[in-house]
Amino acid sequence: MKSPYLFNRELSWLEFNARVLEEALDPSIPLLERLKFLSIVTSNFDEFFMVRVASLKAQIRSGSDIARDPSGLTPEETLAAISKRTREIVGRQYDCLLREILPGLALRGFDVVRPSGWKPQERRWLESWFSDRVAPLLTPLRVEGDETFQSAGNLRVHVAFTVRREDGGPVKEAGSIKDDDTGEGVEEAMAIVQVPPNLDRFIRLPSDEPGLRFALVDDLVRSFGARLFPGYEVRDSILFKVTRDADIGVDEDRDDDFLAAMEEVIEDRLNSYPVRLSVSSDSEALAERVRLALGLSPDDVYTLPGPIDLKSFMELAANEGTGSDPGLADLHYEPWPPVKAEELPEGTTIWDELRAHDRLLHVPYESFDPVVRFLEEAASDPAVLAIKMTLYRTSGNSPVVRALTRAARSGKLVSVLVEVKARFDEERNIAWASRLEQAGAIVIYGLARLKVHAKAALVVRREEGGAVRRYLHLSTGNYNDKTARLYGDLSIFTSNEDLCREASAFFNMVTGYSTVQELRHLAVAPFDLKARVISMIEREAQRSTAEAPGLIMAKMNALADVDVISALYRASAAGVRILLNVRGICMLVPGVKGLSENISVVSVVGRNLEHTRILFFANGGAEELYLSSADWMPRNLERRIELMFPVLDETLRKRVRDILEAYFRDSAKAHRLGPSGRWKRVEPAEGEEPFSSQAWFYESVKRRHDLEEAPPERELQVRRRPTTGA
Amino acid sequence: MSDSEKAALPQQETTAGVVAVIEIGSTGIRLVVAQVDASGAISILDRAGKPTRIGRDVFTSGLVSREAMRESMAVLLSFRELLRGYGIGPAEARVIATSALREADNRDTFVDRIALQTGFRVTVIEDIEENHLMYLAVQHALQEEWRLVSRSNAMILEVGGGSTEIMLLRRGRMAGAHSLRIGTVRVDELIRGSGSTPDFLHQFLEDNVRTACDLLDGELPLDTVKTFILVGSDARLAATRTASEHAEEYSVIPREAFVSFADEVASLSAEDCVARLRVPWSEAESLGAGLSIERLFLDRTGAEKVVVPNVSIREGLLLTAARGPDPEHQEEMRRQIVASAASLGRKFRFDEDHATQVARLSLSLYDALARDHGLGARERILLEVAALLHDIGSYIRTSGHHKHSEYLIQNSEIFGLSKGELTIVANVARYHRKQPPANTHINYIALAREDRIVVLKLAAILRVADALDRGHDQRVGEAAFERREDRLIIRADTESRPGPVDLSLERLSLAEKGDMFEDVFGIEPVLA
Repeated sequence: MKSPYLFNRELSWLEFNARVLEEALDPSIPLLERLKFLSIVTSNFDEFFMVRVASLKAQIRSGSDIARDPSGLTPEETLAAISKRTREIVGRQYDCLLREILPGLALRGFDVVRPSGWKPQERRWLESWFSDRVAPLLTPLRVEGDETFQSAGNLRVHVAFTVRREDGGPVKEAGSIKDDDTGEGVEEAMAIVQVPPNLDRFIRLPSDEPGLRFALVDDLVRSFGARLFPGYEVRDSILFKVTRDADIGVDEDRDDDFLAAMEEVIEDRLNSYPVRLSVSSDSEALAERVRLALGLSPDDVYTLPGPIDLKSFMELAANEGTGSDPGLADLHYEPWPPVKAEELPEGTTIWDELRAHDRLLHVPYESFDPVVRFLEEAASDPAVLAIKMTLYRTSGNSPVVRALTRAARSGKLVSVLVEVKARFDEERNIAWASRLEQAGAIVIYGLARLKVHAKAALVVRREEGGAVRRYLHLSTGNYNDKTARLYGDLSIFTSNEDLCREASAFFNMVTGYSTVQELRHLAVAPFDLKARVISMIEREAQRSTAEAPGLIMAKMNALADVDVISALYRASAAGVRILLNVRGICMLVPGVKGLSENISVVSVVGRNLEHTRILFFANGGAEELYLSSADWMPRNLERRIELMFPVLDETLRKRVRDILEAYFRDSAKAHRLGPSGRWKRVEPAEGEEPFSSQAWFYESVKRRHDLEEAPPERELQVRRRPTTGA
Repeated sequence: MSDSEKAALPQQETTAGVVAVIEIGSTGIRLVVAQVDASGAISILDRAGKPTRIGRDVFTSGLVSREAMRESMAVLLSFRELLRGYGIGPAEARVIATSALREADNRDTFVDRIALQTGFRVTVIEDIEENHLMYLAVQHALQEEWRLVSRSNAMILEVGGGSTEIMLLRRGRMAGAHSLRIGTVRVDELIRGSGSTPDFLHQFLEDNVRTACDLLDGELPLDTVKTFILVGSDARLAATRTASEHAEEYSVIPREAFVSFADEVASLSAEDCVARLRVPWSEAESLGAGLSIERLFLDRTGAEKVVVPNVSIREGLLLTAARGPDPEHQEEMRRQIVASAASLGRKFRFDEDHATQVARLSLSLYDALARDHGLGARERILLEVAALLHDIGSYIRTSGHHKHSEYLIQNSEIFGLSKGELTIVANVARYHRKQPPANTHINYIALAREDRIVVLKLAAILRVADALDRGHDQRVGEAAFERREDRLIIRADTESRPGPVDLSLERLSLAEKGDMFEDVFGIEPVLA
């Protein structure tokens, strides 16, 4: 029984990945960028299988709870639908790679060569490369029973071989190889070899000709692997990759949507069950054996017609070329160097500026520098008493951490709330966090059961006359100078006393100084954020009349909270016009008569990762505009510390509103969601140029910067009668 | 007066800049940091609060348990850290403790341990001082509205964990101030202890509130109360859910809305309060009882609306810390203290004209003798109160009425006066006639030495003033006092009175009662 009122969360996510793939298919995008999107599709799938599919499977395994999800599907039905849709998407992904991207790149002298394309001299060169640099790192494992496969690491590329003795004798004599089915004296045995993950996957071939040629290290292992089994001949071989229940090595920030779900999976991590098998199409029989050994069903096997694991093609896609190489510039996007903030006038400080007016920062279009400068100035200013901030995820060597360390060393009260749950980074995170502690900072390592996802930094300063003044930065994105070059995020700097006071209260709550306090301007999840969002939606419905219908515009990464969706349906029924921009999962069904006919949903996927969360309510003329760190998902609203904050400054409101509206004008990178669940590309109106919101953001940031930089008018306006020609 | 009493009185020097106050209450330890600008205006910078079990401990066993001490210490240490972010050291923060700690047998140990471990110096304040601080906070929060409040009769009520603070205002003048030993934590403990039903609880509260209200009715008929001002976190929660208007520093709840909210909450278990109202556990436990008590008081008044200022005793403390000796404010406080005393006098049917006349004469004398007594504005207020109330013992019996006055004053509550100050006033009243202080008078020798001197000086003045109205008909009018070497010349103002004025009775009385004056000041009072 399928619910007509909600889309299935997992299937909706698959459509998001399909939209990412659409970027790879877009011929107007440079080739290496298209390759990058292909690799993102793969890494998205990896995480999706590790977390979501794994959890569906765990649900089935536990058997206790086979409840239907809100969309009305059972876990089995969902898995079947996932398998079907994934196959379609992966099919298109490889079509695109093999028919368009790789041949296109080859034409530009950028060639990924599979074994069949190796020239004889290249083959010889690669063979010695293999012997010298690869073979010493390999550890072939003979397969004895199915346990051997349990050692096949998550997401690592492996090669499976079947071998038999060159003299044709039974393999059993070789020692431990045995086949249960045929008893003794089998002719063949199986072995697996992991391709060492620390080797570069792409090996540049020596060449006198212009252009670049690459071989894949996994192809080397497969082609020359016979050397690992002296006395044996390799009958068959395939490349494969196992995806397991999430445990290690997930890049949590690749897509925020996975994080808390991961946490849950990790908690009851019994064992790292395999959930998916990706194999090359070299040997069906061998693929079948691997599948059986892993205990997977045919539905879990994805046979790929090209190189497996496109994730690492990211390295290749990032190739900028070297001095002697042909210029690769046109294979990349035209660069959008972040626009630097204008210098402050001589003798003024960032504090003077913020006392005068609030400030908006739109990364990656604008440079992240102002945030770093905010913290650096705070660190070195003797008048600053305290700095408090959340660090959800940052790099150890980041300028943010350096500034905080310096501030703590100079005796300021520095308190930092860090999240160290990013598993790969755990050790590194703890290292810089304890350095901070040694410098005298107060470090709070997260909160029990709640992940801190809010992004806020507060500076307390004692100014002339002994008065205390605070300065605040609130953001939709992390304090990470690296992701700030790719993620689209908005943040505000302000010295508004109400906001600063409430931010103080927020820090008192999360640092354990205080129990929860009621706030007026800021909304905090998991306390009142959800209730506030719902009550604002309801208020809009109440205020809406036929003459003056209400308006809600909102942008987020995911919409999956059933309570919020119900509120939106009710508002739609009350005549409120609702424009949603949802990058990823959207469980809301738009455009259904009597239910959601006033709701439209678009999604923008472009060169920068959409990450801002913006909310607008017409509120009967008393318009309200908010930014937030939270998506509308139960996880964010109920199990995370998140913040929603109003944009109060008039100038900023106008800019944020323009930004929000731009998403709904997008006719270049937008898709619109239909009532059936299909996403259709938004086309420009007849005779009009396509409008790209991201391009427009960059242009408007540049334009504003140029205006600010422009010297004042020098020319004088002279008044006189127009002269006549003669 | 001891140092601990001074800390809460409005005599601090102004500290421009940032001020921090911490209140150790029966249900929680709470902190407020505020900024005071040069004009004395206050803006709140920061708040924090954590629940504690001090009240629960003390109201059941009389002691703060070791766990509660440890918890409190952890909270205070974290507050110390928080204050470091504002450049405030623990010694600079003002820390008060209210009813729970006041009643704890081991309060001195606790206070000492806090000082040693955290550096905070705790002042345990008197219950009636809580009233005073509350009044300041409420008046500040209502600002302009306060004038409106002053036109009708009003009640200010706060139900705390250990006590309920009540103030009655007749057209802006203090008609009564009380601290009742009804509190949410006390009630909760009682119920738990007896394993009683909610119905029992309601009956219990109703009986208690009725008794309290019957007493209050004597000071101000409660049905004439048109403004019902409710302070405290329970009330603020009710305001966020049901208020019809929100101003910057207060909210207004229609009477019916408050009543139905209180009834609804009373029907919920603490679990439901947490789930439905999204309040923390620590508050949920006391919410029902608190709102019920408030509702019962409201029932007795004629108020249509409930006004909930967004303040607490901590704001009052901030105000005293911030304001310093603001003369206008001091005068306002004096008027309220005197109004409260007069209201007490009326309760015991005093001769208001006589009392007022004696008070006026006492103050004139006090001012004329400024150099001789060397006392300050605070003692002047104590004299005024003692003068107003010196005869209230006559309500019981004329014979020995000075002793009855002492007893009544000692066991009453006067807005703005601490227990110590009330004792001084009681002693002064006692010595307005008959025997002067002697070493056999327990209540007198129990006073600190410096307080005994205050009593001597004030009683000496009061005796003279009382003698001058011996006839209880104010015949000396606004007498003038002139200090001449060893004599004080008193000139009656008989001009305004028709016909000749006979002052023989007053002369006689002065001869009898002036002895103490001569002993204390070395000056002979002479009625010219």
